[in-house]
Amino acid sequence: MDQETVRTICYLARLQIDADKAQKIENDLETIIEMIGGLKEFDTENVQPLYSPLEKTAFMHEDTENSDNQKEKFLKNAAASNEDYFLVPRVVE
Amino acid sequence: MSIQFKTIQQLREMLDKKVISSEELINETLKLAEDLKDLNCFVTMNEDASIEKAKKIDQAERVDSTLSGIPLAQKDLFCTEGLRTTCSSKILSNFIPPYTATAVKKLESAGSITIGKTNMDEFAMGSSNETSYFGNVHNPWKKGYVPGGSSGGSAAAVAAGIVPAATGTDTGGSIRQPAAHCGITGIKPTYGRVSRWGMIAFASSLDQAGPLARSAEDCAILLNEMSGHDSKDTTSLDIESKDLLHTINQPIKGLKIGIVKEFSLDDLDSEVQNCFEDSKKLYETLGAEFIEISLPNISASVPTYYSIAPAECSSNLSRFDGVRFGHRAENVEDLNDLYIKSRSEGFGDEVKRRILIGTYALSAGYYDAYYKKAQQVRRLIKNDFELAFESIDLIMTPTSPGTAFAFGSKGAQNPIELYLEDLFTISSNLAGLPAISIPHGKVNSLPAGLQLVGNFLREDQILNAAHIFQQNSEFHLKKPSMEEF
Repeated sequence: MDQETVRTICYLARLQIDADKAQKIENDLETIIEMIGGLKEFDTENVQPLYSPLEKTAFMHEDTENSDNQKEKFLKNAAASNEDYFLVPRVVE
Repeated sequence: MSIQFKTIQQLREMLDKKVISSEELINETLKLAEDLKDLNCFVTMNEDASIEKAKKIDQAERVDSTLSGIPLAQKDLFCTEGLRTTCSSKILSNFIPPYTATAVKKLESAGSITIGKTNMDEFAMGSSNETSYFGNVHNPWKKGYVPGGSSGGSAAAVAAGIVPAATGTDTGGSIRQPAAHCGITGIKPTYGRVSRWGMIAFASSLDQAGPLARSAEDCAILLNEMSGHDSKDTTSLDIESKDLLHTINQPIKGLKIGIVKEFSLDDLDSEVQNCFEDSKKLYETLGAEFIEISLPNISASVPTYYSIAPAECSSNLSRFDGVRFGHRAENVEDLNDLYIKSRSEGFGDEVKRRILIGTYALSAGYYDAYYKKAQQVRRLIKNDFELAFESIDLIMTPTSPGTAFAFGSKGAQNPIELYLEDLFTISSNLAGLPAISIPHGKVNSLPAGLQLVGNFLREDQILNAAHIFQQNSEFHLKKPSMEEF
């Protein structure tokens, strides 16, 4: 874990770390990744990953309309919106 | 008559005998919360709506539910329509959900009254409630000590006797560990037992909602209401829910309890060991049989969890971008800058740290070595449990390696120190198993918890074992003096 890797992960996660905390974060990540790295001691050859304890997920249901239009309710929590859309800074010049 | 420290059943009796009206009960509860506000266990109160609901209940001709008029507190991670839901984060500090989580809706439909939303570790990431944007919660047993986490506010509110019970969520021990540190009872149900719809997600394959209360019996009352299939949650189990009260009082003669060989207690405080040995003896006198079992891969639980949970968190928390809800940064240059600044200003340090670990574990070149590897080891852990449960009914461990600790005393230099708080609890989340924590003694004047882990969908068995323990001991009846508050 070096500064360059931390910078790349921060960008991927869309996070900025304050300069005075950068070293601490770098050290913490190093320690945690090292701990997770300990998993390589466990033999997992031919072991299927277990992504959910239930194994079977995504129950299907009929695709039916079951609620009213709640546009106004959902737009209310946005910091910026007009009557139809969430507003963001201009993305197309 | 004071309502402080009353159980659900005691309050039910007071309401039924008209010793108190529902409105009076809610007013008393709100006053108690106000008098004890130094505990900092609530983020938002729900005064007007709860009084209004209580009045309606008083006017109703008959009571047809155990929970009718009973005050409850909800962890501030359950969406509640029209009532601020913050996840104890700056990024959601102004969020008013347009809908209510299924688990809360079920409890409210059964007549309970939500009096407020409880403080917690930010986005449930923590074991001490010290990562909350709204400040630390004090342990009712000792000021300046943590209540545990992440459901720290819920545990403190119940332990202080403000409410008889509260909801929590448990991703790696977040119901059981605070229940243990605060001297109350808390159960994490089987994964899929309680709907996750409307719960703000941390790690979707591990998160599960459950109750914290003053007894196993009260936990059973709440879990009976919270459980059940929900078509809005694709991981909600479509199975019939048993009445957990029906079997809670069965004798436990012949119950086979597993003791995990790999969990050496020798390194723990001798008083923690003594509590554990005393509890074993009590169960033996009640007719239970102890069998040593082996979970050969259990030492991988903490690293497995700290790969999977941050990976799922980094994915789930990508939705917080300042656009549709939550904190939005000002003075931004473009859309990307809006995302970065809103997230960086809105999330606290622990949340950022976990998002970064998860992003790393999921990134190209590392996915197989960290994320996929952890999911493979997770299967080994689950297989170990399956094999063990062929010869036993439940597993007994301490809930936590120690008791509550002073603010700031763990994890400041090395985060792993705090991650080890969940040593005994994490594996049941990885395997999706139900587990309960009950108080079973004191260590240095602070409560210690005993954990019972059940087989898949066997909440009935662990609640039965916990209830019988409580019928034959008084640890769950102990109350903090509250003189410091």
